[in-house]
Amino acid sequence: MESTVTGIGGALHPRAIAFTGTAREIERRLGLLFAGTGIALVAGMGVLGLIMRLTQATVIGLSPAWFYRVLTLHGVGMITGVLLAMMGALWYVLHATVPLSAGRMRVTYALTMIGVFAVLIATLIGGFGAGWAFLPPLPFHPAGQWSVWSESLFFVGNLLVGAGFCVFCIDVLEQTTNTYGGLFRTLGWHYLRGRDAEAPPPQAIAATVVAIDGLISCAVGSTILLGLLGRTYDHAVGIDALVAKNLVYFFGHSIANLTIYLAAAVIYVLVPRYAGRPYETTKVFVAGWTGSLVFIATAYSHHLYMDFVQPTWAAVISEVASYGALIPVAVITIYSMTMLIWGSSFHWTLASTLLYVGFAGWAIGGVGAVIDSIIPINFRLHNTTWVVAHFHTYLILCVVVWAVAFLAHVLERDAGRTSSRALRAWTVGLILVGGYGLTGTWFVEGALGVPRRYAIQPSGTSGYSVVGASFALLLALGFLILFLQFIPLARAAWERRHHVLVDHFDSWTGTHYQARALRADDGPALETAAPSRRGVPLASGAQLGFGLAACIVALASFFPQVIDASEVSNRYHHLDHAGQFFLGAMLGVLLGSLPAVSRRLGDHSSLGLLAVLVAPMLMMVVMVPRIYEPLERDPFEHALYHLAMAGFGLLTGLGATRLGLVTGRIMFALSVGMPLMFAAAMK
Amino acid sequence: MTTPLVGAPVWFVVCERVLTGPARGLHCLCGLTGDTIGPRKPDSAGGKLNLHYGSPQIAIGVTFAALALLLALVFAVIAAQAGSDVGAQRVHDVGYWLRKRWLALLLVIGVLVVGVSLFDLPFANGSDAGRTVVTVTGGQFFWSLSPNRVPAGSHVRFDVTSVDVNHGFGLYDPHGHLIGSVQAMPGYHNRLDLNLTEAGVYRIRCLELCGLNHSTMESTFAVTRH
Repeated sequence: MESTVTGIGGALHPRAIAFTGTAREIERRLGLLFAGTGIALVAGMGVLGLIMRLTQATVIGLSPAWFYRVLTLHGVGMITGVLLAMMGALWYVLHATVPLSAGRMRVTYALTMIGVFAVLIATLIGGFGAGWAFLPPLPFHPAGQWSVWSESLFFVGNLLVGAGFCVFCIDVLEQTTNTYGGLFRTLGWHYLRGRDAEAPPPQAIAATVVAIDGLISCAVGSTILLGLLGRTYDHAVGIDALVAKNLVYFFGHSIANLTIYLAAAVIYVLVPRYAGRPYETTKVFVAGWTGSLVFIATAYSHHLYMDFVQPTWAAVISEVASYGALIPVAVITIYSMTMLIWGSSFHWTLASTLLYVGFAGWAIGGVGAVIDSIIPINFRLHNTTWVVAHFHTYLILCVVVWAVAFLAHVLERDAGRTSSRALRAWTVGLILVGGYGLTGTWFVEGALGVPRRYAIQPSGTSGYSVVGASFALLLALGFLILFLQFIPLARAAWERRHHVLVDHFDSWTGTHYQARALRADDGPALETAAPSRRGVPLASGAQLGFGLAACIVALASFFPQVIDASEVSNRYHHLDHAGQFFLGAMLGVLLGSLPAVSRRLGDHSSLGLLAVLVAPMLMMVVMVPRIYEPLERDPFEHALYHLAMAGFGLLTGLGATRLGLVTGRIMFALSVGMPLMFAAAMK
Repeated sequence: MTTPLVGAPVWFVVCERVLTGPARGLHCLCGLTGDTIGPRKPDSAGGKLNLHYGSPQIAIGVTFAALALLLALVFAVIAAQAGSDVGAQRVHDVGYWLRKRWLALLLVIGVLVVGVSLFDLPFANGSDAGRTVVTVTGGQFFWSLSPNRVPAGSHVRFDVTSVDVNHGFGLYDPHGHLIGSVQAMPGYHNRLDLNLTEAGVYRIRCLELCGLNHSTMESTFAVTRH
């Protein structure tokens, strides 16, 4: 008799066997690698958070210089940690239906980890302490605290983390749209219109939305980070503080926000396994995620409410989007999940309990966020600890809790059992009391007007920090007990996955018995799906004609009169560069889309990905006056420089054609937008 | 004119009289001296506690706390029911019926809250006529105000900018309540209109991370009794 490795035993709802597939080795490996690393990073950053709270409580005496280093590292590290964990979890659940590339996932991991390492050095050794938001031009006014190399390294670190996420998003978008037949079908819009009964599964729709918004965020983030990197090299480069702030918050807010939407895609798969009821795509679901696609990208501007020079319409759009973002979350994700759970004979395990706890964290933190996003209220709460309170509520008590729930799910599923009821109760109890106590203290302080990011708290308020730090210790204890439960579960999981029980018969005594033996096979073979390409960005004669016309118009960026006129200011000059880049990119897309050329270029999707990622960045790296101004003295060198701009565009365009119709078009549009945003932010 | 908060007067009376007990308790429990932020210390003259929770923020906080408790209750009830066995079709029928109403409720609340808030935007508009313009310049790590005092009842327009990095101009009234904020941004002028009726010393704190001494970047602004 053989005990089945994939048996779900007491880990899942008995009814879930009907719709729960077997987890493949590669899914388990990458899922655990990402989630394990991400949670370890979160734990480390949590310790830093506790140190800061104890400093504010005047229990320990961290200097302001170190406080801001730690604050900066804490912010970047926390977001990167949850991002890593949730990317791994999404890959785990999505790979079952979409042939994602394991190789690209490893590239994502490598880029992210190098980025984290760079930020670690830049902050702890280099002393960089401008906060995770690094609001320009603060990085260039260090008040003697950090040097050029540390600010550069910090930008590079963030850039690498962004590039890692970008690779993940490109792969997800390329493979989901290939699998489900284009963007329209992948987002379920055909289903919304009632033309087809079949709709993609919920996790695929959610992942596609995350990928699109993630790519937009990465493009915006790369632009501002490369602009700031250029500024470290050339001090003559000016920064438009308002535009730069818009770009920074678009990047930072969206990435932080997307971690929870990544998590949402995961819970659509995990929760049904404990409720024993499958979760299927509905028209309301499709409409809701279409709304989220828009709201995620437009809500960021609430960070700029108190910049009164920001156009009022932008603030109003942001307020509407911030409230609008609540609707799909409240009406679809949380509501439908509770419907799934209601009266389901829900199977309570460590993982399912944590998944459930996360819903409350999202709901309560979300209410705090929506309140703060109402402009007249924000006027009284802006940059107080209320902000800290609401995002810690849904990050700690939802995203982090879901990240560990995912880890618990994988371990329990492999082990075929859960941990003891008493330990689960202690874990959840401590996490709830510690978590809500910690964030509750911030809410109270925020209502009293205590500012955030203070190394030294205003007199009379350190008592709140003492209370907050005490709750943080309870929270840490809760997570410690949780991690201790992982040890026996991991052992049992390893045992079940690597050994089988074999029946034996002892002929001497005439008895039957079972003995442990090594499994002959190590589960299903590794699967590294080769990305397949579907279509090209310009797919018809009319579209090719449009591309050609756009190229002819863009030729104007090379007219001597236009180039001369653009010398008036850096902004105009950069706009001219943007025009030249557009010409090259359009030409690349046009050529790469021609059937004969496309066939010759072959199906080199990963090379295409490399080109769309690197070429626009290189273009912006050399778009620094200190580099191009010496070249302007020599007409030949000057002409070559402008041709290089178009050359980077050509590479980008050709690369985009290797990514298929949907991803190719989106990457083309974003890469063309990057130099335009650069021109607006750097002057 | 001081920006009023929508609905604040109604909430306010309720919150101040009935619901701020827990906040008072926590504040006292924390052993706070309360000399600069939030409620004030015991009045030395009368020996009475001058717990003036007179800011709309407390109404906001209490509203949030009530909503959070309500949500916690809902999740507790669902968790208690999760173990029972109800037919999927029954859950489906009742759940979708309820969901339509839930969506409608959220839409109505959204239209009301967002709609009404648009009539209460704090963004300064109109000319400087009839206003005392106070030029505020932020820098690492100082505030410069000119003039730095106005008579009570002044309609003040703070013209806020920065000479180096982003700062946050946060104005706290003599009771320690944050009565409004605006960003100080290099290259831009943000204008904040406030009607300062109460005499006393107002405190200015930086509300945007601006470097090493961010937390000690403070100044004062006097509103005199004529």
